Amino acid sequence: MISLSEEQAAFLLVVARRIVPEVAGLDDRGCAQLLAIIDRALMDRGAEVYRKFGVFLGVLRRAPVVRYGRTFSRLRPERQDAVLRWFERAPLGLLRQGLWGLKSMAFMGYYGRVEAWEEIGYAPSFDSLERLGA
Amino acid sequence: MRELNVDVAIIGSGAGGGAVAKELAPLARAGRRVVVLEWGTKLAEHEYTGQEVDMAGKLYFDNGGVFTKDRNMTMAFGRAYGGSTVVYTGTSLTIPERVVARWGVPGLDWGDLQQRSAKYLVENNVHLQPEERLNDNNRLFRLGCERLGYRCEQFPINVKGCRASSLCNLGCPNAAKQGTHRVQLPMAEAAGVEVVTNCRVTRVSERVCEGVVANPGYGEPSAWEPGEYRVTAKAVVVCGGAVNSPALLLRSGFGGALPVLGRFLTLHPALILVAEHERLITNFVGHPKSFYCDEFLESHGFLLETCMYFPFVTAKNLIGFGVAHSELMRAFPRLQMILVLAVDPALASNRVVVDAAGEPVVDYTLTGEVLDSLHESMKASARIFFAAGARRVHSPAGASFFLDVADAERIDELIPRGNVTPGKISVTSAHLMGGCRMGAGPADSVTDAWGRVHGVPWLYVADSSLFPRASEINPYVTVMALADRAAEHLRSHAGEVLGR
Repeated sequence: MISLSEEQAAFLLVVARRIVPEVAGLDDRGCAQLLAIIDRALMDRGAEVYRKFGVFLGVLRRAPVVRYGRTFSRLRPERQDAVLRWFERAPLGLLRQGLWGLKSMAFMGYYGRVEAWEEIGYAPSFDSLERLGA
Repeated sequence: MRELNVDVAIIGSGAGGGAVAKELAPLARAGRRVVVLEWGTKLAEHEYTGQEVDMAGKLYFDNGGVFTKDRNMTMAFGRAYGGSTVVYTGTSLTIPERVVARWGVPGLDWGDLQQRSAKYLVENNVHLQPEERLNDNNRLFRLGCERLGYRCEQFPINVKGCRASSLCNLGCPNAAKQGTHRVQLPMAEAAGVEVVTNCRVTRVSERVCEGVVANPGYGEPSAWEPGEYRVTAKAVVVCGGAVNSPALLLRSGFGGALPVLGRFLTLHPALILVAEHERLITNFVGHPKSFYCDEFLESHGFLLETCMYFPFVTAKNLIGFGVAHSELMRAFPRLQMILVLAVDPALASNRVVVDAAGEPVVDYTLTGEVLDSLHESMKASARIFFAAGARRVHSPAGASFFLDVADAERIDELIPRGNVTPGKISVTSAHLMGGCRMGAGPADSVTDAWGRVHGVPWLYVADSSLFPRASEINPYVTVMALADRAAEHLRSHAGEVLGR
């Protein structure tokens, strides 16, 4: 990790497990790869985006206290999903966009790993003429 | 700061800059100093890894996900020796006569553009792929269109020695795609044009370009030493694309005399739509983009094209998350994909501005009319998917994550307009146009029909920012044709603009 705090990274993994269930099966190395990809993408986008991402993580972590009296990490998985779905359809554009950004980062972190390609059957090759039957 | 003198500085090396560089080669041969200043790097052949995150980081601005100001869209545009031609699919269409008529630019004639486009179709080896080179993803689109009676055409593409990797959008690892990095730039360099990579031009003032050379740690090092440069040029041709060209000129203070600079940006807002078949299909082998359907262009303002994207981009463009999302991703070798392009209106309010730091900000709003088009496109695509035999369709505005084949008759009901909400559905753009639009004078445009900036005889623009409205087709051939005009004008007025 370069820039995400340990607390942010741990929370990001909690959310990522709901977004991509297979994240739960990643070992330490896989989790580190996922976080490094996200960290790098955020770094490339500059300090302001990084800051906003951190703010949104904080909002998502604490928002469930209002409805459920617990932070996101302490909710049952079904309730965590309900919170994410609420953010996805939130009346406020900023909240929808925040979740969209967070989901994008989780997808990039997971599916950006070469190891994930085999799991989903994606196997590109520089020379695919034979596979094409051409 | 190092100081240099050149005759012509070309800023950018994509479809526009590459064409200008090649067309100004005779000046270089005649002893003029012509330089191309390119922000991006030139990757060594072994650096084309075909890995999505790696290539997106090296060949695109912001990994291919530059946000609009309202964060409701992301834009993908290239940064490389060859610009976006390194990462496009090479689909090569000539602009239709009706579009040029709609543009209404005094002095711009469709016949002239057609003639120049034809030259590049030959130069860049544009041709139709034979039937045996088409994969199932593309054939199924054609089949669906045929069964529904929708008009469907094959894309001519610009490849040579294609090995069917399907990795066009990540930079062809087989050097098959004939972008400017493979054709025009090497021709220009052979004639003595200098191409300086890793060079970001920060400002253009009276016949001077200020820039910074910084090697990113990958790709070939720049021909110039890292550091700041002040390049005095007798003529400057700006070819940085529809975001960076207007931003550069705004940052440089040209906005005062040119009130529409940065405005009338159009993006062809796009959706990536996905359906699942029962059987394995060939989708990530073979060229990803073989067909398009313009059945709904005039009636509903959208085009449909075949496409095939990579795991992360695919995942990002699906709605939702969790088990259903994961299930669809695990069906990757059975996925069929369609790309929607909406034809958006050219509005003065949609524009590029620069922030306090001089960085571009794309202030663009999806209109209700465009959202209507996207909604109609989702329904049309669902029909095509089902007609092609898909077992279920994922629609971003669907009432549920999947529409099953049993729902095929209820598409209108199950894809409600109310779900087409900015910020919820993923809208992207890879066709960025306008911002330095051509026209009659400074009140309504930035340049004339030759790309000459009004009132600034040494300054030209030659890229997609010239488009006064959307091109309604994939734009790169038109960019090259317009760049060809700008270069011809500069070449034929060399004595006047560059001096003897």
